[in-house]
Amino acid sequence: MLKNTILFSLLALSLSGCVGLNTVSMTQIPAERENKITTASSSWNFIGINFSNAFVDEAIDNLKAQCPTGKIEGVYTKHQTTGYLLVFKREVIVSAYCNEV
Amino acid sequence: MPIKLQSILGLSFLLLGGCSQLHHVHIGDIDQSQGRLTPFTIEVNELGFDAAKAVEIGAGVAKSASTSEDLEFVALILAISNFGPKTGNPVYNDAYADQVLSEVIKVCPSKKITGLTSVREATNVGPVSGEVVRIKGYCIN
Repeated sequence: MLKNTILFSLLALSLSGCVGLNTVSMTQIPAERENKITTASSSWNFIGINFSNAFVDEAIDNLKAQCPTGKIEGVYTKHQTTGYLLVFKREVIVSAYCNEV
Repeated sequence: MPIKLQSILGLSFLLLGGCSQLHHVHIGDIDQSQGRLTPFTIEVNELGFDAAKAVEIGAGVAKSASTSEDLEFVALILAISNFGPKTGNPVYNDAYADQVLSEVIKVCPSKKITGLTSVREATNVGPVSGEVVRIKGYCIN
């Protein structure tokens, strides 16, 4: 009985989804799309206990650093959460186009 | 489990329970080609209150079993009546974020704004929360 329960639990775990898509947003896409830049920042937590959302600012700083004198346009932002049993990873994944003026 | 230990554990979870929650992020275009950027942040917040959770906590600390059961029933009714799609805890003012636009317009003397990032987040302490809208951006000097 115990063996069956463990097997069934493992099967259920392997079938359950582990990524939650929180939000997606996109800005106007420019005609020039040659220089694509991407960045991601994340924050880990245990059973959903977080003390700060500063990892979002980290993504913006990374994006700015990749295009220091140009225009960052067509920004696609994805905010997702991935669960690894009791531990969760919150992530902001950003892609954009850097156009020098 | 002894009642004292149970209370301490309950209080700890109440204080730690999901302290900071990120609901939504939107990063806008950033123009670094027109000059030096000065960052600014505008933040508005409103008190959020989860009545069902408050009653649930009351049921947990009630001394008699019948009171606890009654409170659990009240919590169920409150939870059902507030069931549905929502972001964060309910608030008592639906216009608390409306001033954000005028605040953003006021903040840049040059009137040139870029890199607007909108964040909807919440800080929770048990059944009470601070429901926050945070706008970060840059003035082009």
